[in-house]
Amino acid sequence: MQRVTFTIKDYLDDNPRVKQILKYCVSIALIIGAGLLVKVAIDVYTWNGFIIGVSKSLVNGLALSMLLFLMVSGFFLIFGLCGVINFAHGAFFMLGGFMGFVIYLATESVFLDPTLPFFLIFGSNHLALSITAFIVSALGATAVMALIGGGIEFFTIRRLYGNPIAQILLTVGFMFIITQVAELIWGPPQISYFIINNSQISYFFISGTLDLGGGMIFVWYRIFLIFLGLSVAGLMFVGFRRTRIGLQIQAGIEDSEMVEALGTNIRRLFTIVFMLGSGLAGFSGAVLVPWIGANSGHGLTYLIYAFVIVVIGGAHYGRFEGTFFSALIVGLSMQFASYFAPGIKDVIVFIIMAAILILRPGGLTGHGQ
Amino acid sequence: MKNLLEIQDAHVYIGSFYILQGISLVVPKGEVTLLLGRNGAGKTTTMKTILGIYPPKEGKIIFREEEITNLPTHKIVNKGIGYVPDTRRIFGTLTVEQNLIVSRRKATSHSEMQERLELIFDLFPDIRGFLKQKAGTLSGGQQQMLAVARALVNNNDLLLIDEPTEGLSPLLAKNLIASLSRLKEFATILLVEQNFRAVSKLGDNYYIIDSGKIAHEGNNMSELIEDKVLLAKYLGVSI
Repeated sequence: MQRVTFTIKDYLDDNPRVKQILKYCVSIALIIGAGLLVKVAIDVYTWNGFIIGVSKSLVNGLALSMLLFLMVSGFFLIFGLCGVINFAHGAFFMLGGFMGFVIYLATESVFLDPTLPFFLIFGSNHLALSITAFIVSALGATAVMALIGGGIEFFTIRRLYGNPIAQILLTVGFMFIITQVAELIWGPPQISYFIINNSQISYFFISGTLDLGGGMIFVWYRIFLIFLGLSVAGLMFVGFRRTRIGLQIQAGIEDSEMVEALGTNIRRLFTIVFMLGSGLAGFSGAVLVPWIGANSGHGLTYLIYAFVIVVIGGAHYGRFEGTFFSALIVGLSMQFASYFAPGIKDVIVFIIMAAILILRPGGLTGHGQ
Repeated sequence: MKNLLEIQDAHVYIGSFYILQGISLVVPKGEVTLLLGRNGAGKTTTMKTILGIYPPKEGKIIFREEEITNLPTHKIVNKGIGYVPDTRRIFGTLTVEQNLIVSRRKATSHSEMQERLELIFDLFPDIRGFLKQKAGTLSGGQQQMLAVARALVNNNDLLLIDEPTEGLSPLLAKNLIASLSRLKEFATILLVEQNFRAVSKLGDNYYIIDSGKIAHEGNNMSELIEDKVLLAKYLGVSI
């Protein structure tokens, strides 16, 4: 098979004109194919239904993409700098969700307890109370997961650098431990926890929908997530460009021994990156709870999404930009599929991954072999 | 303190390979010490042993009369050692300026770094022009300048410079050596080089390393240049 591909490739390299023509043909075929798909979709859902579906999928997809991007950047950073494939990353994301859920409710009950002095701060101002609880829960989940991730690195993974098999076994082990503990406490994956159902005042600060008429109804919280995700991602980009530690991490992804030979404590940098990566997983897990709920089954599901996104984006020598666009591809395609082709919604990302790997074996920004 | 750096009978293994088989050498303060030898003789390993990347199984390394043998790399470097590695190893995805920022150690203040930058621009005026450029897009000669500049960001007492002329055209190599000779005013240098002719004027004393052992040492460079038998035997220079 490989032989055949090489022969075709050699032939195309020798004949740039044929290659050019083939390229145009493929582009035209893709456009026609996309057009046909749109035509079929319009026929099936009517024009109105089509527009509603597209806009809904767009909003939901963007919101999911942004949060997937934050989660996967954590995974990508840990892999890039420390060379560790963190199989427990999905479990960190799942636990982050539960942390967000628990911390939100705890904060809420502290502020609502009339016997405590905190009661006076908000009184019956539920909006301010809920916003505060949300911020506390997001930051709290980030901090807890950063401590857990940093702790796991400091006490266990630190001893296993240079031994990838042992790292994989260890992180897979942590994935199982965290998942089982979550199941013991919160029950099996059939149960999802949502803040609004468990809140004492049955209230969450962003609820309801934006109704643009004609069936164009968008959930406010998802619109909010797009902006939240974008701003955190923006902060992260600026941090990597402007701060010394951000530059050290980038340089370390290229050549960690050299960074150390320039006087940086690379071990400490590894721990910091583990904390940062796990914190990002915790953050995205926590802020997604009002949408997807906290669920002990999310660990495995989202670990697989993380793999898919990193592979599409370009794992080796890949860049953040690649991860960003591949998170967009994955998030959007999942949401479009779940609206227009529910039958393939669970496999669509793998189909896309296979297609991209055939065209660009190194992913979007990585180098191929 | 006469000797800035001293290696006493270092034995170094990489995996199961016995690379340095009892190396002893001294680097006198304020001088340029050359470490000469063929490919695979153990020159780069000696550098990495000093840096603690390959700590010796036996033997001692003493820097400024203080033993640094089993310290982690970053602690050794922070005592005032600058490293210019053999294949440059600049950070290609960062800009030249960011490469220099990453190299600043905590002990070097921002104002101190500004002074050092002036020195760097004085030695390598070209660098000022491509500060905002991605380091990966520079030519080989420019990358080598950056690799040297990176070691100058901090006020280092000792510079370990590994094969600076590797892969450079003769003219570029000559210019670089000229810049290095000006560095003598600021720091003590341990210079590894295969291209003996290019650096023979620079050295104050020399060690020839062969199969992980010191084969010859001395401080009379003109005598070494004349010793055709020795050069042919250890450095493969035939005249």
